[in-house]
Amino acid sequence: MEKQVLRITVNSEYHELYIKPKRLLVEVLRDELGLTGTKKGCNTGACHACTVILNGKTVKSCSVLAIQADGGEIKTVEGLASGAELTPLQKSFLDHGAYQCGFCTSGMLLSATALLAENSKPTVEQIKEGIHGNLCRCTGYNSIIRAVKAVTEGKYEEGSQ
Amino acid sequence: MIRDFIYLKANTVEEALDLIDQHKEDYKVICGGQSLLILMRQGLVAPEHLIDIKSVEELNYIQFDEKEGLRIGATTTHRTVELSPLVLEKFPVLVHMEENLASIQTRNWGTIGGNLCHGDPAGDPGPVFMALNGAVKIASKQKTRTLTLDEFFIDYFETVLEEGEILLEVRLPPIPPRTAVVYEKFNIIKNDQGIISVAASITLNNDGLSCNDARIVIGAAAPAPIRAKETEKLLIGEKISKGLLEKAGEKASEEADPVADIHASEEYRRHLVGVLIKKMVEKAWEQAKAQVK
Amino acid sequence: MTKFNVINTPIHNVDGIAKVTGRAVYTFDVNLPHMLHGKILRSPYPHAKILNIDTSQAEALTGVKAVVTGKDTLGVKQGIWRRYKELCDEEILARDKVCYIGEPVAAVAAVDEDTAEEALDLIEVEYEPLSAVFEPLEAIKEGAPLLHENAERNINVTRHIEWGDVDEAFKQADYVREDWFRCSSQAHVCMETHCAVADYIPEGKLTVWTSTQSHYYIKVLLSDVLGLKENDIRVISRYTGGGFGSKFELDSAQFCSSVLSMKLCKPVKIVLSREEEFMATKRRTPMFYYLRSGVKKDGTFLAKEARVFTEGGAYTAMGATALYLTGFFQSFPYVWPSYRYDGYRVYTNTAPTSAMRGFGAPQATFCAETQIDLIAEELGIDRIDIRRKNAMYADYEVPGQATIQSCGLSECLDRVEEWIKDRGKLPPHHGIGIAAYGFMSGGIFNWFNTPYAFSSAVIQVNVDGKVDLFIGSQDMGQGSNTTMSMICAEELGVRVEDIRLHMGDTDKCPVDLGAWGSRETLMQGNAVKMAAAEAKKQILKYAAAKMSPNIVYDLDIKDRWVHLLARPERGLSYFDVVKEAIRGKEGQPIVARGHYTPHRKGMISPAYSFGVQAVEASVDSDTGKVTLKNCVTAHDCGQVINPLGLQGQLEGAIAMAAGYGFIEDLPMDEGKILNPNLVDYKILRTTEMPETTVMGVTTYEPEGPFGAKEAGEGLTNPTAGALANAVFQATGTSIKELPITPEKILNALRERNKREKK
Repeated sequence: MEKQVLRITVNSEYHELYIKPKRLLVEVLRDELGLTGTKKGCNTGACHACTVILNGKTVKSCSVLAIQADGGEIKTVEGLASGAELTPLQKSFLDHGAYQCGFCTSGMLLSATALLAENSKPTVEQIKEGIHGNLCRCTGYNSIIRAVKAVTEGKYEEGSQ
Repeated sequence: MIRDFIYLKANTVEEALDLIDQHKEDYKVICGGQSLLILMRQGLVAPEHLIDIKSVEELNYIQFDEKEGLRIGATTTHRTVELSPLVLEKFPVLVHMEENLASIQTRNWGTIGGNLCHGDPAGDPGPVFMALNGAVKIASKQKTRTLTLDEFFIDYFETVLEEGEILLEVRLPPIPPRTAVVYEKFNIIKNDQGIISVAASITLNNDGLSCNDARIVIGAAAPAPIRAKETEKLLIGEKISKGLLEKAGEKASEEADPVADIHASEEYRRHLVGVLIKKMVEKAWEQAKAQVK
Repeated sequence: MTKFNVINTPIHNVDGIAKVTGRAVYTFDVNLPHMLHGKILRSPYPHAKILNIDTSQAEALTGVKAVVTGKDTLGVKQGIWRRYKELCDEEILARDKVCYIGEPVAAVAAVDEDTAEEALDLIEVEYEPLSAVFEPLEAIKEGAPLLHENAERNINVTRHIEWGDVDEAFKQADYVREDWFRCSSQAHVCMETHCAVADYIPEGKLTVWTSTQSHYYIKVLLSDVLGLKENDIRVISRYTGGGFGSKFELDSAQFCSSVLSMKLCKPVKIVLSREEEFMATKRRTPMFYYLRSGVKKDGTFLAKEARVFTEGGAYTAMGATALYLTGFFQSFPYVWPSYRYDGYRVYTNTAPTSAMRGFGAPQATFCAETQIDLIAEELGIDRIDIRRKNAMYADYEVPGQATIQSCGLSECLDRVEEWIKDRGKLPPHHGIGIAAYGFMSGGIFNWFNTPYAFSSAVIQVNVDGKVDLFIGSQDMGQGSNTTMSMICAEELGVRVEDIRLHMGDTDKCPVDLGAWGSRETLMQGNAVKMAAAEAKKQILKYAAAKMSPNIVYDLDIKDRWVHLLARPERGLSYFDVVKEAIRGKEGQPIVARGHYTPHRKGMISPAYSFGVQAVEASVDSDTGKVTLKNCVTAHDCGQVINPLGLQGQLEGAIAMAAGYGFIEDLPMDEGKILNPNLVDYKILRTTEMPETTVMGVTTYEPEGPFGAKEAGEGLTNPTAGALANAVFQATGTSIKELPITPEKILNALRERNKREKK
């Protein structure tokens, strides 16, 4: 089957790739671009470990054909920190033990990042809704909720830590 | 494993209909693909041509008109509906329905049109649109037609869409005065598909006491969402009472035709129909009453 | 000066930054040059003879590099109970017959995953279906289809535990109660599915990257089945995306990728799909439990008799251990003067059942704690009082089984009782259920037949003071990398950032049996502490020579300060001492070893954690739906090492155990799992998780490093029982079958209403 051109910007870097149209976005990110921080945990769009931000909105990269993201801007976990400077959410995840095995963490961070971009002061209920799709088998979620909450309380604003 | 296909992208309705017409021997339309890609991965669907209408911007809209009501274009995402101030003002039940539909990620990419065309009897929008007396506009290269949602769903994952047709928009007439529409589903994990879902629209008479009209829809209780017409009849003209709600619950349980699966037995599903009908009819009734004052 | 500089201070995991930046490379992410992708063909039958396998069409497919079947293997029947050959019963790639749906029969390596998957469809297997049996109580009957020739009536293993004069004690009892319980299965649902990359080179060496809880076990087990020397195999497991008991036996990804790689001399990667993960990577053991308990009027426990039939599935796996542990923990955490347990593990034509977090104890605790509430209710005794009256205590000896050296159970009961009192009057349809529990800190048993110490550690102190710590334990998310770094830093007198940790590689790390049975903190921790103490001793020798203090003075290192114990202000920089010490050793770094193997600590474990949990739940009487509100746990894990890690372990255990209590199950039809995906198999999400409160009860465990013992696995034990008791409190009905679904509750309420009407 003929390959088609795919033009995407991932973590501010422009890429022109030739892919089979059946390739899923998660496969292109991982296999073509080597961005293995994005994980895959199921085959049914249920676990949300593959969450990335596409054009400002979270999507399951296992449930989007890469070709459908043509022309789009994507942010993956690798694009969160700038150099050694972690984002407030990343710092807070560390401080609150909001990860264990770490396999769901990338998706979880991107969901939380998108949530806070939309609503900087979510209630606990809204935090729960915001990361509801993302499955975690290790933490029981409460540490993740505390971590997001702490960021909304301004504990990780620049210069405060 | 997804089988290879020829990918064809449409940017306008015209392009989409042309492409479909050219490849009608073996094609599938994809929009958000939130359900379709799962089926393709499982090898259950393997089209030769995949026609992508996700970028058809002319179908991405939400419009309201006091006379015509609400029109939602097929490529509008769930999330757009959920966050629309217009929808919140005019059809708040849709916002409630969307907030409880799957995950934000799914709602960000999945579309209203895609959801309806998937024809899942446990889908959320179907029952609500039916309770709202909604209609769908469907087009092929040859003709355009409008059908009520009541006529749209046929069987498990099957709709009236014929070869060559795509869904263009959903139309919801203005909600009549003294009317409230509510929706709820029963599930174990929030935002999962309903084990049973019920949408109810109750219109009261001027007296604010007796029922003028009712539209009751049950999801996940049959091969397609169903109108509980006997239950509606039972309510129309009556005043609300505990006894009436009981009877409505019982009647709806009879009207439902659920099957057993790993999530619930047939008997339990019938029981849930009764519970939800009672709850939803009462809730809609009270909200409608509050409008009369 | 506080007692500890490092320990008991909450710190983020030493591998945390790698995880939150996406840089942590899991086996799932390993990508080698010229790597091929493998897929496994699995049996669609629960029981069938394999008459013939034709792989020719698959081999002819463009892109396919190799197809292997059982005939390409040595045909070794393997198992983790290596000391007992009869319990090594699984070939992984079946040659003659298959015993469950999902059993591997062939494997393909191809240029990409899609081609490999396509090739599976082209393999023709001719089966002769055999009659099958799925329920243990059916399989044990005379005349039932037999899975294995040597297992009469399909009995795989039996276990008997007994102390005291049980029959006599029952005669003395004022009240005797008997109940039947059914405990369901549960899937581990690791977010990273089982996967492996095997890379065999012509020199005869095999390297396997894999997602595992024990790289040592996998190395040895691979050596058993591949005919390679143990040390011609290197297993690498830097990050593991969850284990929960599912990843310390040899799995099909590891075995098949190795067989394919040995045939091709190319790296082969196999990642199991989520469906395969559900069908064929083992699961929690379903159990039928009969319990008979005899007590005095005042609630004093006298005698207990337990009989258990477990659904073994097709092979032994770790099931024999689960069978013993469920029997042992059935008596926990109480003093039963007499006790008799008989367990039967029965082969069935279903996916093998094995170890899962709690290892048989969650089942035991659910049954035991549900029954205790029924006894208390019947006798009109307060449920906390009856537990307090019979609670285990420090220095109690479980006859012939175990010695409890530290035990904070009574204090845990006090704390939970206080919380319940403070909670005051509950809204209608709410109930608080409690359950007490205990768990082991690593197993003493050596069915694996290792000749090595159970845990070992090596430390090298370098010229700049940086410490290389080599450990064999496996971090799968539970935080053992951090725990070991903290123990090392504390004992050596440095900071966590001074430690450079080396783990997850059998070529570099000393042997440790792995992360299972809650063994790492105590066993690996003791080995690390011993190595650190030995390294410190060497450093202090030089310091003593340099400082020439009065010979009666002791030296120590705290926070990089080498000093006189009695005069802390008199000292030297740790860095300076190390630099000079190494110069004085002809430039050789300071190297020390530590190891731990339990001796004279009974049959089960060197130490036991204890705790009490209260679960507050509401029940919707219209639908039977349960909503979890609060989960409060008083937990005695000895000395806490990392409070942040502990909290995470305890909360995570609650989520998993609550799932076991009211949602998770693996329903089957004729041996076929009906919900092998994450849409139909449900686990808790944010909105179902209750508020959690963890109340630490600190004891000192003499056998543990700095007094530490198990934390995290044991907390999987109480939740299902506490939840059942909460439902009992809220509705007056007791559900004896897991999971406690809305439908079961509703049916029980109806039954009760019917009875009351009569």
